[in-house]
Amino acid sequence: MSNKIVPSIYRAVIDDVISSIKPEFDEYGVSEDVLHDLQDRWEKKVIASHVAEFDNQAAPAPATNSHPTHPAYPPHPMHTHPHTPGVPNPYAPPPSVYQHSHVPLPPAGAQVKAEPVDTRYMLSQGMAHPSPYAMPPLPGPQIPGARPPNGMAYPTHPPPPPTARYPPTAQHQQPPQARIPQVDGPSALPKIPQLDGPSSSSSESPSPPPSQGYAPRALHPSLPQPLQSTSQADNDEAINSDLDDSDSDNEEVNETGSSAEQDIVFCTYDKVARVKNKWKCILKDGMIHINGKDYLFAKCTGEFEW
Amino acid sequence: MASAYYEFYRGSSIGMALTDSLDELITSGAITPQLAMKVLQQFDKSLADTMVKSVKNKTTLKGHLHTYRLCDDVWTFIVKNPTFKMEQNELVSAAKIKIVACKNGDAIEAGKK
Repeated sequence: MSNKIVPSIYRAVIDDVISSIKPEFDEYGVSEDVLHDLQDRWEKKVIASHVAEFDNQAAPAPATNSHPTHPAYPPHPMHTHPHTPGVPNPYAPPPSVYQHSHVPLPPAGAQVKAEPVDTRYMLSQGMAHPSPYAMPPLPGPQIPGARPPNGMAYPTHPPPPPTARYPPTAQHQQPPQARIPQVDGPSALPKIPQLDGPSSSSSESPSPPPSQGYAPRALHPSLPQPLQSTSQADNDEAINSDLDDSDSDNEEVNETGSSAEQDIVFCTYDKVARVKNKWKCILKDGMIHINGKDYLFAKCTGEFEW
Repeated sequence: MASAYYEFYRGSSIGMALTDSLDELITSGAITPQLAMKVLQQFDKSLADTMVKSVKNKTTLKGHLHTYRLCDDVWTFIVKNPTFKMEQNELVSAAKIKIVACKNGDAIEAGKK
């Protein structure tokens, strides 16, 4: 494979960035642990993207599982099974994303690793779910591992009465939160039906939900990152998804959009010349992302017919 | 100094991995957006320098030019049935590929030493 150099180059870039940015972290008064955390997350995401053959692929596999990447699931089906039967899917696309992103976490945070996974768990929860669900009932660092499953299962269940502890406090605090209208609205709250109505009443839903998943990935060809894309998409799905679709559909996504990954080259050009319909260009310093793999080139000679 | 480097490589796999990681840390409150911008600027620099220093291989690309566009010194090509001829004569092809090419000129040269 000619993308053999990719891991070493990426490794060099990561190391260079981390070492070069360390003074800035000091200047900002940010702990070095955060820098290591950043490096850790970055490396795992790169590895999880499977754009090249990374040597240390086996070592961080369990940690990678905590990120919502598809390649991580097959080896660890056990994490998902215990929870999935308990969670009904009234709204197929969004809950599935939540499940995938969260289900692997509670077991890991509660039983396997205490500290690192715990912070990650808190983080991802804050992004996909409103913090009020998790924060108020959290007295200490140990209990969150056990309790948040209730908090997470609660909004996904349309009939919530079984858990009597949360409704009085949690529900009164929730309405201001705009992030979980779809999940929360249909269960009990009459205050936000407007946000919820369009998405669940299926007046617009047939087209937007699928396009949500594709739009961000077409724009960002590298990694599937359901956590953020979904949380943002939930906020303003109707407007943004329409815009994204119309922008990209025209030229690029029509054929390859279904693959959720766009083949793309980032590079610079030295020369672009045309004679009639023959184009020649000299490209430099390119990063090719094609068929899910990355390639690098110092120089690329392109010859096209228009 | 750092502004002399192109930012568009942030859209690559490794760049998106970094961007997403930074977003997570910002969301958790671990770092500020300002610091994240510093990291991204450092990434622009590190990536460009590493590419120039360590990547030497050449490749050729043939295909049918479906769309071309030049706007603000940025070429965008959409090539149908592209075939890359990598080193060791390895061929890589796809149905379509998009090429975003910034000018390899003053902007990036000024940043190099």
